[in-house]
Amino acid sequence: MRSLISRSLALSAALCLGGCATTSQTAPPPEAPAPQAPQQEQAQAPAQPQAPATVPTVPLHRPAPMQLVVQANPASPIVSFRLVFHAGSVDDPKGKEGLTALTADVLSEGGTRNLTSAQLLEALFPMAAELNASTDKELTVFSGRVHKDHLARFLDIFTDVLLAPRLSPQEFERLRARALSDVRNGLRSENDEMLGKVALDALLYQGHPYAHFVGGTEKGLESITLEDVKAHAARVFTQDRLVIGLAGPVDEALQKTVVSRLSALPATGAPRVELPPVPTTAGRALVVQKPTLSTAVSLGYVTPLRRGDPDFFPVSFALSYLGEHRQSSGVLFGELREKRGLNYGDYAYAEHFIEQPGTTYNRTNIARTQQDITVWIRPVVPGNGMFATRGALYFLDRLVKQGIPQDQFELRRGFLLGYSRLWEQTDQRRLGYAIDSLLYGTPDFLEQYRAALAKMTPESVQAAVRRQIRPEALNFAFVTQDADGLAKLLKEQPPSPISYASPKPPELLSEDKAIISLPLPIRADAVQVVPAQTFMEK
Amino acid sequence: MTQRLLPLLLLLLGVALPAAAEQVPASPFFPYPMQVDRLPNGLTVVRVPFKSPGLIAYQTVVRVGSRNEVEPGRTGFAHFFEHMMFKGTKNFPEGEREKVISTYGFDDNAFTSDDITVYHSYGPTAGLEKLVEIEADRFRNLEYSEPSFQTEALAVLGEYHKNAAQPYLKIEEELGRTAFTKHTYGHTTLGYYDDVKAMPQAYQYSRTFFERWYTPDNVLLFVVGDFDDAKLMQAVRKHYGPWDRKVASVNVPTEPPQTKERSVHIDWPQSTQPRHFHAWRTPAARLDTANAAIQAVLADYLVGTTSPLYKELVLDKQLAQDIGSDFGIHRDPHLFSVVAVLQKEENRAAVASAFNAAVKELATGKVDASRVEAIKSNTRYGLLMGMETAKSVATQLSVYAGIYGTPDALARHYQRVSEVKPADLVAFAKKYLTAANRTVLTLTPKTAGGQK
Repeated sequence: MRSLISRSLALSAALCLGGCATTSQTAPPPEAPAPQAPQQEQAQAPAQPQAPATVPTVPLHRPAPMQLVVQANPASPIVSFRLVFHAGSVDDPKGKEGLTALTADVLSEGGTRNLTSAQLLEALFPMAAELNASTDKELTVFSGRVHKDHLARFLDIFTDVLLAPRLSPQEFERLRARALSDVRNGLRSENDEMLGKVALDALLYQGHPYAHFVGGTEKGLESITLEDVKAHAARVFTQDRLVIGLAGPVDEALQKTVVSRLSALPATGAPRVELPPVPTTAGRALVVQKPTLSTAVSLGYVTPLRRGDPDFFPVSFALSYLGEHRQSSGVLFGELREKRGLNYGDYAYAEHFIEQPGTTYNRTNIARTQQDITVWIRPVVPGNGMFATRGALYFLDRLVKQGIPQDQFELRRGFLLGYSRLWEQTDQRRLGYAIDSLLYGTPDFLEQYRAALAKMTPESVQAAVRRQIRPEALNFAFVTQDADGLAKLLKEQPPSPISYASPKPPELLSEDKAIISLPLPIRADAVQVVPAQTFMEK
Repeated sequence: MTQRLLPLLLLLLGVALPAAAEQVPASPFFPYPMQVDRLPNGLTVVRVPFKSPGLIAYQTVVRVGSRNEVEPGRTGFAHFFEHMMFKGTKNFPEGEREKVISTYGFDDNAFTSDDITVYHSYGPTAGLEKLVEIEADRFRNLEYSEPSFQTEALAVLGEYHKNAAQPYLKIEEELGRTAFTKHTYGHTTLGYYDDVKAMPQAYQYSRTFFERWYTPDNVLLFVVGDFDDAKLMQAVRKHYGPWDRKVASVNVPTEPPQTKERSVHIDWPQSTQPRHFHAWRTPAARLDTANAAIQAVLADYLVGTTSPLYKELVLDKQLAQDIGSDFGIHRDPHLFSVVAVLQKEENRAAVASAFNAAVKELATGKVDASRVEAIKSNTRYGLLMGMETAKSVATQLSVYAGIYGTPDALARHYQRVSEVKPADLVAFAKKYLTAANRTVLTLTPKTAGGQK
């Protein structure tokens, strides 16, 4: 079972799921000239192309209804099911934020026509079978794993969850209460790092269907009824939105059985949400105030870059070099943590990243029409908040201006050729990648990435980086106790000197001189302070 | 990173090491054959061929954790030292190790618990021989400067800060401090905040720590996946063979018996769900007793998702958002706990009463044999479900072996679980789950349930 006392860890995965609306419904900050890029003495480089004013909507691909994806693995004794619906928090009706995620929970945990929730748990338990649901902005996944000894029984239960959910008022209330607690406690109080990421999402996607937290808003969850759940399931968990993934010892008969049973789902439901373009407004900062020992920092911007774009692989390469998630070989990790001792880690991402629990890898099936490039600075002592943020910007900017040295380039290529193989070592992840490839129109995504790695050069990567990575486009989110104090610093941007507990080499101290006064691309009129206890209210 | 809660943990002690070379056949409790060698210097080397073409998992288990932090002011040091193990040697100065890891693309990290420190790498077989070389080198010849040590101490402080936002760190600190008055299980693996802040001043002690515990006779090496065994062992003997230190002995204080109930309350200054813990002092995991296996079954029996308590408190009455146990196997006597995340503070008495009633019912002999069988089935299939990758296999082997002290501990533990009888649960509950042997921890948030 999930550990009780680490429930917030389990929640942290959910908390990464996206943004939320802040309660301080301030008007969008006034447009202002883009700030100048940080001044550094670096190699002259050609001018960057004009930044786009918005990230347009290029819809994800729509596979055929109930398209089947099979990753046969006859030697495995474990059968994996992965049902991916093109339905997510963007489908939440206004005022009912959290409905898609709650609906998925009520279906997967609330019992079936034949089994109460307790009987469902009792049926799955002796098999050690897994049945989970997870929702993101645009996709909801129902996943199952079972030993082949119990396949028939599990298949009945797994399909009943979708076709004949119990929808009991009691379970609805229980799961809604849990979802509310996840917002009121988990999000607002128990995990500063995730709160910072959610705050950044709220900032980047203000006014967009991505803006609210996938788990819902407080008012949204309070207003949801069991009837809403029942209707919503029929609206969004439909054949035309479904991709069926099967892996393990899967034969023709099982494929036919699964497709045949799921044909009982509604053929169609609600029309797909039409996502608006996202303004690429830069220079905003959101400071979330809460009692905490440290300051958590996330920065990023929305981008038209996504899988399938010719620049995606080289930019992914470059940001892996800058800061592969929870690996110690990245530049940010080395410079900010290892050399300066600022915090526990610092990372960078070419697309939205949600850590799959128990791994250091990105979750699969969180595909998004519109993407973001982000940098994550794990909590620092409050006095170093400004310096750490400037430090991350300094090294990001250096990447754009100077590129990757040849020796580092070769190391990173070797790293990714090996490390990327670890991303596809389970049946569920292989299915996930195959289904994402359908949605993005990028067949054999990881093979294509490795093929691209073999052909990249430092010059080709830097060219893509210069097209796509824009330090001046960044927006900033912070979680800290002295929010007003930090907001003042962000507006006035005085130097942020730093002292160390141990001697540092001259070259590091020289770099620090550039960092401590580096202008952050933040507009003084676009700095907001929000108390955590009102965050995600509606 | 610190990993306090190791899923699947259970234990049995007793260092029944095999002979110098031994083939351990596959069994219902571990479905892969295992080759075990013990080098003359005491290093235990375990290999498990596993279908993961071109990939291996490589894990080094050091039988040291926060349990070994016996000196005042040194709490958190095993975990801090785990960080220092990445700081280089003369042969591979700081940063050079990263180059090797990066060249091949290994997923490379470590974790520390109360009893063990595990260093794990997962990646291409092509890098295995080089990995053997750099791993052996750091375990034999670790060398780092005082400034590097002082800088890393700040990263550990950052780790403390990131964890401090969650109520669990405080819960763990207070529960340990209350339940243990002498034994080092009284402090957490992260260590006390004041000790973490003082770590930069402990450079000399860090060398002592290395010499004491990072010795071949205190280490087990696991390699799982796709590899040539002869080549691997040739490299292992070459690089690890000259390692010649002997493990130290320190006096980990014995915890005196508990004679009356203890309690501790936490007023949590922020919003969270109220929590209620009952934690009993229970025996260590040892291979010559069934105590760990019984506790593993007992956790599911009392508060698992198919328990009557779960049905009553979570599903039917909805007095608790969740209930469960945080039991994990330990080298020395530790705790068996039942935990409730309450819906509301007002539910505390009813939940505590339900906990007491369930324990009393079991201790007085009422036990559901069919549920015990279901738990065993869940354990058996759960083990198979959890062995999908070379890394997941290696991690389970490492954790059990590190705590029990023998390479085949995982299989022996699961065999023990399969032998647990309903009457064992009754006898255990009667003996250990008593009020006098219990610590009650309560946590009340500033704003219960997050209500503003």
